Amino acid sequence: MKFLHKYGTMLAIVIVIAFFSFSLDSFFTYANFSDILRSISIVTLVAIGITFSLIVDGFDLSVGSTVSLATIASASALVLHRQELFVALIVPLLLGALVGLLNAFLIIRLRLPDLLATLAVMYIINGVQLTYTKGFSIYNDMPLPEGGVAPGKFIPSFLFIGQGELFGIPFSVLLMLFVVVCAHLFLTYTKFGRLFYMTGENREAAHLTGIPVNRYRTYAYMISGLFAALGGIVLASRIGTGQVSAGASLLMDGVAAAFIGFSVFGIGKPNVIGTLLGSIFIGVLLNGLTMMNVPYYAQDIVKGALLIFALALSHMVKK
Amino acid sequence: MSGLRMKQMVHSFGDITVLNGVNFHVQSGEVHALLGMNGAGKSTLMNILAGVLQPTGGTIEIDGQLYTFSSPKDAKRAGIGHVVQEVDAALFPALSVYENVLAEQIVEQPNMLFSKTNKRAFVLQLLERVGLAHVSLDTPVQTCSLHEKQLILLARVLSSSARYIILDEPTASLSEEETKRLFAMIEQLKVQGVSFIYISHKLHEVKRICDRMTILRDGTVVYEGDVSLPTEQIVRHMVGRQPETRNTFAREKSEETIFEVKQLYIPKTKTTVDLAVRRGEIVGIAGLVGAGKTELAESMIAHVKTTGERLLHEKKQTWNSPKDAIEAGVCLIPEERRKQGLFMNETIEKNLTVRLLSNIAAWQWIQKRKERALATRLISSLRIRPSSPNALVKHLSGGNQQKVVIGKWLQTNSDVLIFDEPTKGIDAHAKEEVFSIIRTLAEKGKAIIYLTSECQELLHIADTIYVMVDGQLIKQIDAQEATYEQLVYDMTGGGTN
Repeated sequence: MKFLHKYGTMLAIVIVIAFFSFSLDSFFTYANFSDILRSISIVTLVAIGITFSLIVDGFDLSVGSTVSLATIASASALVLHRQELFVALIVPLLLGALVGLLNAFLIIRLRLPDLLATLAVMYIINGVQLTYTKGFSIYNDMPLPEGGVAPGKFIPSFLFIGQGELFGIPFSVLLMLFVVVCAHLFLTYTKFGRLFYMTGENREAAHLTGIPVNRYRTYAYMISGLFAALGGIVLASRIGTGQVSAGASLLMDGVAAAFIGFSVFGIGKPNVIGTLLGSIFIGVLLNGLTMMNVPYYAQDIVKGALLIFALALSHMVKK
Repeated sequence: MSGLRMKQMVHSFGDITVLNGVNFHVQSGEVHALLGMNGAGKSTLMNILAGVLQPTGGTIEIDGQLYTFSSPKDAKRAGIGHVVQEVDAALFPALSVYENVLAEQIVEQPNMLFSKTNKRAFVLQLLERVGLAHVSLDTPVQTCSLHEKQLILLARVLSSSARYIILDEPTASLSEEETKRLFAMIEQLKVQGVSFIYISHKLHEVKRICDRMTILRDGTVVYEGDVSLPTEQIVRHMVGRQPETRNTFAREKSEETIFEVKQLYIPKTKTTVDLAVRRGEIVGIAGLVGAGKTELAESMIAHVKTTGERLLHEKKQTWNSPKDAIEAGVCLIPEERRKQGLFMNETIEKNLTVRLLSNIAAWQWIQKRKERALATRLISSLRIRPSSPNALVKHLSGGNQQKVVIGKWLQTNSDVLIFDEPTKGIDAHAKEEVFSIIRTLAEKGKAIIYLTSECQELLHIADTIYVMVDGQLIKQIDAQEATYEQLVYDMTGGGTN
């Protein structure tokens, strides 16, 4: 029982991989694993953001919309405004941080419940990116309403983020691993990380201990927005267009990954390594199901069931 | 035979006997005070009467009929009403006055539908009886004042035609004016034949409203009779002969005032407090539960919004949050340690080092070895069990948890430590350990403010004792001259009125 408690999640991942490897010929190959990692890199970035909000005992539902907004912002900067790489990166990141700040304002200042506040913001941000694009995607050489075609295009240096490779490994995977390591070290070994956890563990005790809890909660929501924006940039670069509402499906995957992360190694707290493993779990499962020709709409059922499983598990570990 | 008689009530929890053959007699139409110190057995006796607890032995006789209560419902049917101290716990805040008064009837009624109008006249009459005729039946209870809520609860109790009503500390958070109104109402109901059992620590009020009283001590009745007994004698009955465990050595006092508050406003009681504490001094504040001690402590460290002057080392302070107070050197060891003091799911180590991360971190990077050394040192100097830094705090005993809460502050630059009921729920041995930690702190020159309702602890540890009643410090006594009886007398309001 203790073994299951600690390694149950790991065991589940291994079983799923083993199952697909035996039943599918092309599953256990380098190309496929590279593919899985590439596909989860965006989800993982988003899920790390969610992990931060969970650590301070909050919740951020607006990440999916923030991904969409960032995707559109990058595409717009490159295609519509002919900007260079720097602008195409900095604008979406700033927007992400701003969304986080808005969430923090609603939750901390106006004392709205986090779920409802971020739900409302999710709708607002989604509406904002749709209004800005009038519902049309942004792509190279797109015709403009006032005539002619868009002046800019997705430049190669931007496309490298989502499509390029370094030492035969997709750059987005390297980026994801780098971010995972940094976030893990930050949360586990630095003073700030410790205080994030303390804030979430017992807000009143933290306040009476002199920890500026509202400041840390604000940081957490801003970090959540930043990571969602980073996910949006990678997504834009990966598909090479500014697809509207492209991030919507990432919310569910991100939440599931973060909650599966709770139970990894029986930690019982949100943690980045767990989130990565949760995200791998989901990626492997979806990849395998796709290869078994399970239609994508049926995969939502699996995802939902997985989230329930993860939540039940995290509650059991907490006890 | 009229009246309520509990005969030879015996009750024990495991090996501990709480009631030892108690005879309790309330005549019909009287207000009967039930007095005793904490742990005397008052609550147990009343819980038996209300059907919450089943006694080990004894009989209950009401108006000549014998009863055995196996549930609160049985007690209600027999005419026992209970107005609990925490009125909010018994009310439904979002429901109307009408629905709250009728709550018990709604539960009992056989048909499915509930009429919002049927019983208006009945409820109005009840409200009139408790003096709430001016309150609209449709008001949600959450908008009512505490006093009104209490009366609504009383109306509910009367709705099931209770004839013996237990009032548990009914005036604990009432103003003088509200208390007067409550008493007038009690007098009226008394005329209508309702009897009251009145539990209170405020002796002057007992003398005002009650006809007779029963005093319990250690589960035995030590006095039954008239309330005209002098307050000193009542206190002596309540307290009994206590072993004199007092602070025998008069410690040398520094003249240097470290922390001082002037006209510090306590929002809840709407009072102001002046208090000063010197280097190495342990200032004790004695007050009943509800006297405003916690509120005073939280005002001192700016946990609640307040006004008034704070002086630390003779310098004026402007604090907006506990963080400011802590950085200046004043910290609070709060009363609710699980809720306010600890990170229950974290390790002992992380709880102990949370204030010291800057000391053990280089470039914000926590140095694991330094942290471990620091935690180990604190654990061994406080004798925390288990001594493993990795043990989770939630698995510790109350005493050890308290040591962790205190330990968090030991290595910080705090000059003033405020302890709010630090011995609550911890065993005798751990209590001694906490006392010795506090004494050591004082000897190191820290200034200590110790708030408690257990005033024998103050004789044990404090240098100066203040008595707090209804949000005010009414008396300052040198601990060398204080006696337990005197403190109880003052705390229970013997000194006022």
